[in-house]
Amino acid sequence: MRDERKPRVESELERLRKKVENFPSASAYNRLAELMRLGGDVAGAAQACRRCIKEFPRNGQAYVILAEIEMTGGKKEDAVKNLITAVERDPRSYTAHRMLAEYYAVSGKVSQALQHLRLILTFKANDPLVMQKIEQLTGKPGSAATAAPANTPASGSPTLTRASPTVISVTQPAKGSEPLPFNPPGKSGPGDSLQALCRETGVRGALIADEKGRVVASSGLAAGQEDLLAALAAEIGAASLMAIKAIGQEKLTTWTVAASQGQVLAFKRDQPFSVVVLAEPGVRPAMLEIRARQALIDLGAA
Amino acid sequence: MQEILTQLNRVRGVGGSLLVSGEGLAMASALRDGTDEAQLSATIGSLIEHSQRLGKHLELGATRHVHAAGDQGGVLLLAAGNGYLVVLIDPAANLALLQLETKPFLERIAQRLAL
Repeated sequence: MRDERKPRVESELERLRKKVENFPSASAYNRLAELMRLGGDVAGAAQACRRCIKEFPRNGQAYVILAEIEMTGGKKEDAVKNLITAVERDPRSYTAHRMLAEYYAVSGKVSQALQHLRLILTFKANDPLVMQKIEQLTGKPGSAATAAPANTPASGSPTLTRASPTVISVTQPAKGSEPLPFNPPGKSGPGDSLQALCRETGVRGALIADEKGRVVASSGLAAGQEDLLAALAAEIGAASLMAIKAIGQEKLTTWTVAASQGQVLAFKRDQPFSVVVLAEPGVRPAMLEIRARQALIDLGAA
Repeated sequence: MQEILTQLNRVRGVGGSLLVSGEGLAMASALRDGTDEAQLSATIGSLIEHSQRLGKHLELGATRHVHAAGDQGGVLLLAAGNGYLVVLIDPAANLALLQLETKPFLERIAQRLAL
């Protein structure tokens, strides 16, 4: 199996090398760096990361890959610097927060470790590994539930120069429960709209996700289910867009997959976000669309 | 099969139709000029695959239809026996009515495919 894969990896490496030379993009650099590292070319991978950082300084992923290389190579201080930059560039970088938390936990800086773990929970609620780690560090079962709310500046952080992540929090409220915590103070936000959507008859749950399948907010869905739904919805969204383009159109506004025991509906706007709704088979999309569009409007305003 | 699709195209709101296999291979086509059959059937194949995966992972059962819509109409994908009927929808089409009106065509296609 490994022998069969090797030529494919080589050709992919070659393709990416050509791509970064001719049409460079941050994602191509990052993929190239990952593949080079997997293939054992650590120096080449680090060089690809540095080129990516030079050409695309706003991209956080290259800092994470470089930090992983440096951490493995024992350059822990350099790695931490890059991880801090990574979370500044991308406050939702799960890997960067996890690595920082791990580093601080090992260094005995428990409060800083907890801070990064709790920041993860603001965009990846109920992540079992993070919750387990928080409980392990605090020694209190259930303490992970007291995660810092989103849009609340992390207090006294010597490691983060940015006050708080710009991401929107994720919770799983019961129907009719408190508004989601990412709403701007005193204003309604996408959380309210998602909850209103979930109160519609036949709606099992809903979420807002970006084009890469990352959950921005959700309501009524279990933690594992929301990630799965967002990932699958991103794939269908991409396939639907291709189908729409094949008939000469540019913009995808909605898609629906209706099956015998349920349906998934997605609504888009100009933003790269979709509201994805999991509903009973017979639910009519018209009312859901109004609620979903409101959630997207609120998201834009948040 | 071609005749069924040609008749289907006369239904109000239908801008063309295509019959594809579960793998997205075109079996019959009645598309308007300018629509690339190969490109459309390939993208439909991808859409079928992803929809089936969604149904499987979320335990939604068998896929009945898939609808992708843009500002100027869209694509409606309906299960028809072993194949899938792809209906191109005009912007002003009444989707609910259109689904109702395509039912007899779906049955005829399913019967033909079962032969």
